[in-house]
Amino acid sequence: MNFLAWAKKNWLLWVAVAAYSLLATVSLSEAKMAAIIGATTFASVFVTLVTVFIFVGLFQVWVREEFILKHLGEQSGFRGLFLGALLGTAIHGPLVGVFPLLKTLLNKGARLGVVIAIVSTWAIKLPMIPLELRFFGWKFTLARQFLLFASAFVMAPIMERLIGNVPELRERKEE
Amino acid sequence: MTTTDWSLLIVMAAALAISWIKNRELTKKAIKIGYKSFVNVLPFFVVVFAAIGLFEVLISPQTIRGLLGGSRGVLAPVIAAVLGSIASGPPAAVFPIGRYLLDQHASVTAVATLLTAWVAVGTASLPAEIAYMGRRFALTRWAVTFVFSIIVGVIMGWLLL
Repeated sequence: MNFLAWAKKNWLLWVAVAAYSLLATVSLSEAKMAAIIGATTFASVFVTLVTVFIFVGLFQVWVREEFILKHLGEQSGFRGLFLGALLGTAIHGPLVGVFPLLKTLLNKGARLGVVIAIVSTWAIKLPMIPLELRFFGWKFTLARQFLLFASAFVMAPIMERLIGNVPELRERKEE
Repeated sequence: MTTTDWSLLIVMAAALAISWIKNRELTKKAIKIGYKSFVNVLPFFVVVFAAIGLFEVLISPQTIRGLLGGSRGVLAPVIAAVLGSIASGPPAAVFPIGRYLLDQHASVTAVATLLTAWVAVGTASLPAEIAYMGRRFALTRWAVTFVFSIIVGVIMGWLLL
């Protein structure tokens, strides 16, 4: 791919550059700080990102489509949603890192609702629960975590209805 | 490197090792696929983290405190959802803000909404989501999650009355 096509495809990169230039002309120190915060956040999740992509690769070659279809496919019902919700709880790292995995799942025939369930419970961060406990106490933490988990079962049907056309989503091939 | 990072690395190394023993060719293929997708989305990651930096500077904890400290009635959860979804970041960062707001007499509803939107909505990663999952999926999820964070907040406020 030549540079021009690349630059066009990643036009958001130029939006970011423009936003930073704009901020820099208004306040150089704030632009610098933003860049530093962005870079350190990136650095702190880099390991996670790398492992996520290794898993994407392993997943592609090892997990059979029949397996996904059976356990997470259109016919998987409540059990599929529950598995998805559990999976979402276990996933860690930023949402950006999860999309490649979700895409792979969809392409292999997972039900849209299962994917939604994963994103919903992804907001549950098991390693963060002790921290939340310390700041807000048992009642607050447990109630919120429970609501987040339950949300998967409400969000999935709603989103399935709103989005509807799943085959169209699947056809979007990974480049 | 946090403990979670280490455990993740160990799990990955183990998975790779098992895969390698079982089938070398497939494992090589897996690494190649992973590498390729990573390089492909790298520009998106750069954009996302650039946006996170911008949001954190422009919408500082002080701004959030100013807007949500003290009770603001019905509007508070909506403001909390807006702030939380724009200024998304690591969950560890939002807990102290939430605690502070509660101490400043912000409502449980507003704080729970802020916490939930902060982690779940993900405005900064929206471009990456659109690229992967399509516009329809991304925007629907964004909107539904936004509303949902308010619902979680309202239920929380009612539960912890």
